Amino acid sequence: MNRGLLIKTIREVWAITAPFAIAVFIVETLIAYVLPTFSEQFADSWMGIEIVRKMLSALLSVDIGDQFGPHVFIAIAWVHPIVLTIFGAHATIFATRFPVGEIDRATIDVLMGLPVSRWQIYRCELVVFIATGLVLLAMAIAGNRLGTSLVSADQPWPVSSISIVSINLLSLFLAVGGLAWLVSSLSNRRGKAIAVVFSLLLASFLLSFLAQFWEPAENIVFLSILNYYQPLIIIRDGDWPTLNIVALLIVATSLWIIGGVINARRDICTV
Amino acid sequence: MSVVVTNNLTKRYGRRVGIEDVSITVGQGEVFGFLGPNGSGKTTTIRLLLGLLRPTSGESSIFDLDCWRATKQIKEDIGYLPGDLRLYANSTGRDMLRVFGAIRGRDLLTFGNVLADRFELEMNVSVRRMSRGMRQKLGLIIALAHKPKLIILDEPTASLDPLMQEQLMQLLREFASDGHTVFFSSHTLSEVERLCDRVAIVREGKIVADESLATLKALAKRDVTIKWKLGTDIPDVPNFLDLYQSANKDHLWQATLDGSVNELLDWLHGRGYDDFAVGHPDLESLFRRFYEKERVAK
Repeated sequence: MNRGLLIKTIREVWAITAPFAIAVFIVETLIAYVLPTFSEQFADSWMGIEIVRKMLSALLSVDIGDQFGPHVFIAIAWVHPIVLTIFGAHATIFATRFPVGEIDRATIDVLMGLPVSRWQIYRCELVVFIATGLVLLAMAIAGNRLGTSLVSADQPWPVSSISIVSINLLSLFLAVGGLAWLVSSLSNRRGKAIAVVFSLLLASFLLSFLAQFWEPAENIVFLSILNYYQPLIIIRDGDWPTLNIVALLIVATSLWIIGGVINARRDICTV
Repeated sequence: MSVVVTNNLTKRYGRRVGIEDVSITVGQGEVFGFLGPNGSGKTTTIRLLLGLLRPTSGESSIFDLDCWRATKQIKEDIGYLPGDLRLYANSTGRDMLRVFGAIRGRDLLTFGNVLADRFELEMNVSVRRMSRGMRQKLGLIIALAHKPKLIILDEPTASLDPLMQEQLMQLLREFASDGHTVFFSSHTLSEVERLCDRVAIVREGKIVADESLATLKALAKRDVTIKWKLGTDIPDVPNFLDLYQSANKDHLWQATLDGSVNELLDWLHGRGYDDFAVGHPDLESLFRRFYEKERVAK
């Protein structure tokens, strides 16, 4: 690992990672604090309504049926669109830094004038990318823990379930990063690359959402990357979602490798 | 010993030709001028040498290593200044030397500071606050601070004032005299003429001339002005003079000399001229002539 490249990458990304980390901490704290306050009221008045149950199932990508309990609220904190948006946006912004970000701002000429290979830069970016994912995750867990303890000091906090959810979320983060990296390797304009990744993520989210209402969507929901992230089941049953994690890691590894190969072979042109 | 060698190097972007069959050789310690108008293929050639582009066909090597496959190794000893220089906006010059030094595994600050003094550049200013000229100086310092064996500069004098241009020329001469090789790309003939030992002219992706500066000067035409005495019969224009302006009333000829000065002197002998002047070999016109040839050929 080239120390100088690591320094360069860290210097450039801390400024974008810090706001995302703070944001996910605040959002997790608020969600973990606010939702349980309404849980009884919500269970009594709203869960009897079919459409509300459906909407909640759609959000959680799992049919919650009549099994409504505290685990649902804990799970919401990990699938809330704001939380997913923070993780998705960070993964996309980070993974499009190189090569397309450097090409777009034309700094790649100076960078590639140095004695570094494209694979070296790639490895460095990947290591720092995973590290920032861990930072975001740690902040999310810390926020969730703080929010839960603010509700009541005696409030149970399912450590093991949340650890498993975190690993599942990290796998999702890596897969989204892999997608962004692949698109980045194929692009010359960063704005366009980010737009493509966001469109794909939005499509994935909509597919998972619609699959709860609409049978044709249910048949192809396996194509959605979010289908492999279901915290409710983990929190409710405490089981390891091994298949989901493996599927996400296979997708992530494949996309990162394909992107790396494309990047190593492509022409780099800033004009 | 040859430092840069390209052999029928070709790069196509789909149907468009970037460069075609470019074959050049640059020896150690040589200051090589790579001359051509905008869009002629200079930058494409440099990008191929640096492994940023993959050749469609042909070969290129630096220090006997393949430019595509061994690009990382080659760049240990290359200093490169891009034509369209962009630097990391939030860093200062000193930060960049520190980080790039860490990437190269060398101390860039010591000689970088010497260069900064020569270029009169304040290194603690962030790139965002630098003028274009200051950024260009910083780009040059980054390219030269590790004292590379091969210096590749793509239109380096852009945005530099004349004093700094002269400073750069002086610095490059010093590098060359120490055995460093300079690959100097430019579209400005005068600066190539001031600095380079040898010049290749690239036009629409092809090398149209690759000669030493002395040979090019021998090929170049000279401007000639002849003033005939009043009342003298004006002779017919000889075939070695290409008259481009004739003011018969004033008995004044302006022409380019397509032959030797001796030939002109012999011809003038005994003819009634009042005055005449022969200019220096005009590379600019030679350069234009190469361009015209291409246009006519098209």
